[in-house]
Amino acid sequence: MATLADSFLADLDELSDNEAELLDDNVDAENMEEDVDGDMADIETLNYDDLDSVSKLQTTQRYIDIIQKVEDALEKGSDMSNHGIVLEDDPEYQLIVDCNALSVDIENEIVIIHNFIRDKYRLKFPELESLVHHPIDYARVVKKIGNETDLTLVDLEGLLPSAIIMVVSVTASTTSGKPLPEEVLQKTIDACDRALALDSAKKKVLDFVESRMGYIAPNLSAIVGSAVAAKLMGTAGGLSALAKMPACNVQLLGAKKKNLAGFSTATSQFRVGYLEQTEVFQSTPPSLRMRACRLLAAKSTLVARVDSIRGDPTGKTGRTFREEVRKKIEKWQEPPPAKQPKPLPVPDSEPKKKRGGRRLRKMKERYAITDMRKLANRMQFGVPEESSLGYGMLGQAGSGKLRVSVAQSKLAAKVAKKFKEKYSGSSGVTSGLTSSLAFTPVQGIELSNPQAHANQLGSGTQSTYFSEIGTFSKIKRT
Amino acid sequence: MEMSYQLRTLRKKREVDSIIRDTIDKLLVLRFGRSSNPLCLQLDDILSKSAREVSKFATIALVDIDSEDIQVYVKYFDITLIPSTVFFFNAHHMKMDSGSADHTKWVGAFHEKQDFIDVVEAIYRGAMKGKLIVSCPLPPEQIPKFQLLYKDV
Repeated sequence: MATLADSFLADLDELSDNEAELLDDNVDAENMEEDVDGDMADIETLNYDDLDSVSKLQTTQRYIDIIQKVEDALEKGSDMSNHGIVLEDDPEYQLIVDCNALSVDIENEIVIIHNFIRDKYRLKFPELESLVHHPIDYARVVKKIGNETDLTLVDLEGLLPSAIIMVVSVTASTTSGKPLPEEVLQKTIDACDRALALDSAKKKVLDFVESRMGYIAPNLSAIVGSAVAAKLMGTAGGLSALAKMPACNVQLLGAKKKNLAGFSTATSQFRVGYLEQTEVFQSTPPSLRMRACRLLAAKSTLVARVDSIRGDPTGKTGRTFREEVRKKIEKWQEPPPAKQPKPLPVPDSEPKKKRGGRRLRKMKERYAITDMRKLANRMQFGVPEESSLGYGMLGQAGSGKLRVSVAQSKLAAKVAKKFKEKYSGSSGVTSGLTSSLAFTPVQGIELSNPQAHANQLGSGTQSTYFSEIGTFSKIKRT
Repeated sequence: MEMSYQLRTLRKKREVDSIIRDTIDKLLVLRFGRSSNPLCLQLDDILSKSAREVSKFATIALVDIDSEDIQVYVKYFDITLIPSTVFFFNAHHMKMDSGSADHTKWVGAFHEKQDFIDVVEAIYRGAMKGKLIVSCPLPPEQIPKFQLLYKDV
């Protein structure tokens, strides 16, 4: 890491005087092999003032070589004469693999330059970076605005959507930013130029990959079209990288961070990447687009895997999948099947609902209010109650009855029956401890039936103090 | 479940045999007739419309009386007028007293779908109770008087 930083500082010294020529072919032989990732890692550590020190992709031999080859190939047009040979040996395939890697590098480089531009331009217009997210759009807008303070003089038409233009110009009128010094502005504009140049180079690379797509990934281009296939491959970093990617990530490849200016995310196609440019997606009604997108992403991943092992050079798998996707989306739009009338239930299949009946009537009788209770609850009209015990009309003179007869309560009968059953040992089963052998001192062994005795003693009300068979408990002979 | 009930048309004696034998714990409704007859078509319409509703306790099939193979049954059930509808339950012939002379079958069409469903339910109930003959649940004015009309003309 330290060596990298040193080399950057050395570059800085070397290049500090020729920063005006930024886009020239100044090949820096020392830094040819420098990885872009290395640049990324060192962004934070560098207090960069010079664009070349942070962005050196354009000056690498690899970049120049690939762009040169791509331009040649594009001029030459596609010749598909070399179908017979193994793919990996084909120089064109190698170039396409390189192109994919390069397009990822270019993307990273654009991000770096975007950071550079932002840092410089923040002094002039701090809010702009939150209003315009996309690096290329940002670079274009910065280049257009420059040091202008009155945004009404700047025509942003075509660079941004009109809603965003309005927000930008409104924000610009209240911004706290100050015009940049001439030198810094020049650097920024140059950085913008470089970003745009990189962008166009990337487009060129993608064009090339796209033109060879039918050869490299026949199935993928059958599903999403060669343009989108090239973009997906380019962003993912090659066909094998795309094949290793889960479908949910493929769906997001190329998704832009959008500034909705306070609008809802419900209707904006928020999480859709390059797949939104596919013909299938465009022909789907908006309400189904998200579903269609998921489906497309899933199928694209599958065919990317087929393509990555050259499983089907004819592209038949891709066409089959595409047809499948199309049919599925068509099916989603069909109205649901009409509701069928429910078959009638089998007659008399359910037992009839019963309201009350014999059992319920008996239970009501059991718990019914008695005549005595009724009288006790009653009061004579106009006569104050004599006792405070609350007997009501119970036992009052003039009721016409000498004595209120207590009817045999059904509940009492039932309780008595239960009690009897409980204590007399029901259903003839005797306890294991009971014996029919009784030892008496006089007669020796005597056989008796213990149950008979128990029945005689009776249970419940009969075995009380007043019962007929009861004896005195204390006074007892022998 | 099928989308719509296309009633089965039987043209072989073997088919009729097996459907009578194999319809277990369900009422079998056999319509004897020919699909060129307008009255048959009217009945068929009612049958096909209610086939799904009664599908839990009844099976409906059409028998083409013009088939050579079926003539045995046409003679056996004494089909003289079409359409004639015969009911079976667990391979037993079910009769219905509808006030007409013939208890063995229903002659003519039904006035509406509900009439047919009522008749099927009544016969099913009777059959589940072990009866071999049930009385028609429909009011007399909704029972076609075929025999009488035929004699008048």
